[in-house]
Amino acid sequence: MVVGSVSRGCQVVVIGAGPGGYVAAIRLAQLGKDVILVEKEARLGGVCLNVGCIPSKALIHVADLAHEVLGAEDMGLTVSSLAIDLPKMVEWKDGIVDRLTSGVAFLCEKNGVEVVQGAAEFVSDRSLTVSSEDGRFEIEFEQAVIATGSRPMALEGFEHDGERIIGSTEALSLQAVPEKLVIIGAGYIGLELGSVYAKLGSQVSIVEFLPKVAPDLDPEVGKALTRQLKKLGVKLHLSHRAESFEAGDPSVVVARGPKDDELRLEADVVLMTVGRVPNSEGLGLEAAGIQIDDKGFITVDDRMRTSAPGIYAIGDVTGGALLAHKAYQEAKVAAEVIAGEPAAFDNVVPAVIYTDPEVAWVGLGEEEAKEQGFNVVTGTFPFKASGRAMSLDATDGFVKAVADADTKQLLGVVAVGRGVSEFIGEATLALEMGAFLEDVALTIHPHPTMSEAFQEAVEAALGRAVHMVNKS
Amino acid sequence: MVSPPAKTKGFMMAFVFNFPDVGEGIHEGRVVEWLVAEGDTVVEDQALVKVETDKAVVELPSPHSGTVLRLHAAADADILVGDPLVTIGEAGEKVPEDFAPVAEAAPAPALQPAEIEAPGPAVGSRRPLATPRTRSLARKLGVDLKSVQGSGSGGRITDEDVERAAEGGSPAAPTPPVGTVAATADGEVERVPITHLRKIIAGAMRTAKHTAAHVTHVDEADVTDLVAHYRRAKPVIEERTGVRFTLLPLFIKALVATLQKHPIFNASVDEERGEILYKKYYNIGVAVDTPEGLIVPVIRDADRKDMVELAAEVADKAERARNRQLGLDELKGGSCTITNIGPLGGVFATPIINVPELAIVGLHAIKERPAVVDGEIVIRKMMYLSVSFDHRYIDGAEGARFMSDMVRLVSEPMLLIARL
Repeated sequence: MVVGSVSRGCQVVVIGAGPGGYVAAIRLAQLGKDVILVEKEARLGGVCLNVGCIPSKALIHVADLAHEVLGAEDMGLTVSSLAIDLPKMVEWKDGIVDRLTSGVAFLCEKNGVEVVQGAAEFVSDRSLTVSSEDGRFEIEFEQAVIATGSRPMALEGFEHDGERIIGSTEALSLQAVPEKLVIIGAGYIGLELGSVYAKLGSQVSIVEFLPKVAPDLDPEVGKALTRQLKKLGVKLHLSHRAESFEAGDPSVVVARGPKDDELRLEADVVLMTVGRVPNSEGLGLEAAGIQIDDKGFITVDDRMRTSAPGIYAIGDVTGGALLAHKAYQEAKVAAEVIAGEPAAFDNVVPAVIYTDPEVAWVGLGEEEAKEQGFNVVTGTFPFKASGRAMSLDATDGFVKAVADADTKQLLGVVAVGRGVSEFIGEATLALEMGAFLEDVALTIHPHPTMSEAFQEAVEAALGRAVHMVNKS
Repeated sequence: MVSPPAKTKGFMMAFVFNFPDVGEGIHEGRVVEWLVAEGDTVVEDQALVKVETDKAVVELPSPHSGTVLRLHAAADADILVGDPLVTIGEAGEKVPEDFAPVAEAAPAPALQPAEIEAPGPAVGSRRPLATPRTRSLARKLGVDLKSVQGSGSGGRITDEDVERAAEGGSPAAPTPPVGTVAATADGEVERVPITHLRKIIAGAMRTAKHTAAHVTHVDEADVTDLVAHYRRAKPVIEERTGVRFTLLPLFIKALVATLQKHPIFNASVDEERGEILYKKYYNIGVAVDTPEGLIVPVIRDADRKDMVELAAEVADKAERARNRQLGLDELKGGSCTITNIGPLGGVFATPIINVPELAIVGLHAIKERPAVVDGEIVIRKMMYLSVSFDHRYIDGAEGARFMSDMVRLVSEPMLLIARL
């Protein structure tokens, strides 16, 4: 194609086919819009499907399985030997990714979304160019949705080479388990992947700048995670700033501690998980008059409108919690607003960390609720008092309910434990419905399940838990 | 006072000053004006910020000396107790944003009343109690859920509440910004934000009308003699004391004497425990009309003050109420309220009770009217007096007896003097 020779038109163009973009495109098509979905990569699905949520959870599951089997002697299960075939594991994981990404392509096609491959760049607030190996063409649109996502943040002194210094993407496709793995950053990605490789046999060290893990969550969460990492033999170096990398055999990571002390950690592989930055460069945002904040995130309102009329942004590129399910909801809001419906993002956003045990939370934490001026009452139920947890040999963790002591309205839930990711959705529904503690206490939870702990925690907040001794 | 924050390991030296609980019942406020800027050096007890609460505008003093590193709330912002207001630390120190806020509790500093600026809109920060479906309906109908009273369980806003609100107001699409004059189909409309004080008054009035069973009893008093005595005494008292003497203290005295005979009018009710609280003190609220709205300062122990003291105190508190300089403690603890509507005209009015009190006495205009005295029509100074009371706890007959006792006291000054 010759530059500028072809100009296409559509009602709405969506940039980026991750969880935000493909959902926006499909929803727009369902609402009768003529949609073009532009994706830079060859495969749809974005980070989540290709190199994020899904593949990491696949590997976490296998690692958990191996770890559980090896630790099942007390339960009468002895395994004489267990071979870990990492290439096979990665192949299985890639199969899942293939199924899901082609599933997205199928859904787009069936909903009448036209997918084009290439990098988009705004020329004005009503047109953009799409460039790929095949050439370049222009799209004129009435509305646009930016869903370009985020990418790992780089750290000076640790230049990514994909072999000795890797990111989460490569960590999901390693062909051999590194003997010594150093992880920089104890965010949720670092903690999840650190647990995986510790279970697969690596000696894992995590270097974290902050003085504790999960600093924004209930202090009990950090304690539970720290305890489990210790059990896995993971060395946690908190309040340490990673300073430099010395290549060699093995290589060395140099970090500086709180008393200006130097820490030297040998590493076969260094995994960088220090945070994520928005993909807002090279998009021609200025040409369209779209404002970004000082960290590069696109500024939007609760209807996902940017500063440029007719242009919307959703998902990681807008900041806040960088979570696929938040992007899903924002995508639907943007699509409906474009279609003239009265949608707005006014939701609570649940979050999950797939460590072992899992951590899940939604709504306000105890401290947060106090800071907002609530008179707070809490109830905590430990899994060590749960029959289901015992039968799973997974008694670590707890469920804690946070409520307004005056009105008894549920304000938030935090849970640590096996499978808690599966019932945080229930707590989210309770919050969205404006449930009071009584509502949850009077809801029958199936026995025996881990979800019973939510009901018990709420009853504890009411001072009437049955399966534990209530605080007087 | 708080001791300076501990210096630990090179960070967390900065101190976050949260909006303190400045008094009973105050949960929220609004930043009226910052008196310091980021980078300023402040000393302990220096006024940092003017905050408007539902009772008054107060200046919050700094609990520490140091440099203002960060102002956390903009002017006009609504804040809840516990919200961070300002971070104070050492010059050049970085605000430790990456760390959890320093949770050092500051004691409530002494209140320093300040004058008021034009208040802006106040918005609650809590989520309306409504399901996603109801929230979606509210958006569709252009209803602001913050302004809807929920009728459902625990105050939950139902679909029906939203529909009712939509019928009440215009189902406007996006509402134009406040402060603008916009043409509508019916003519020009100016949108002006409701002040914080006005919202508080609105809430109190709604609560009062919603809970108390209001009934008003009106009687007529012949105050010819009272006014004659007053006119003779006024110049003498003013010359000797320098206090501007008005009729109001006489009526406060008459009210106190009547309350002593009818204690239920000087009581409140603890509904939760099913008990009536008879007050053994006579703290009389005096309704004051200010440019910003109604404010009711309290004259404490009115039974133990003489009329000149009452006159001086009423004048001082009314003046400071108009300037919004009253402290919270001067607005609390009333046992009964008096409202002087007379100077504004009218025949009589039916005021709303200042809950949780049970009664409010209205003073109406003194006018010369024909009256029959000893079989003759003569011109007398006549006045209507009203008592509005909560019929749940006070029967109509008691109201009538209360009023006729008060009328007798103001009609016959010697009886009033006898009760002093």
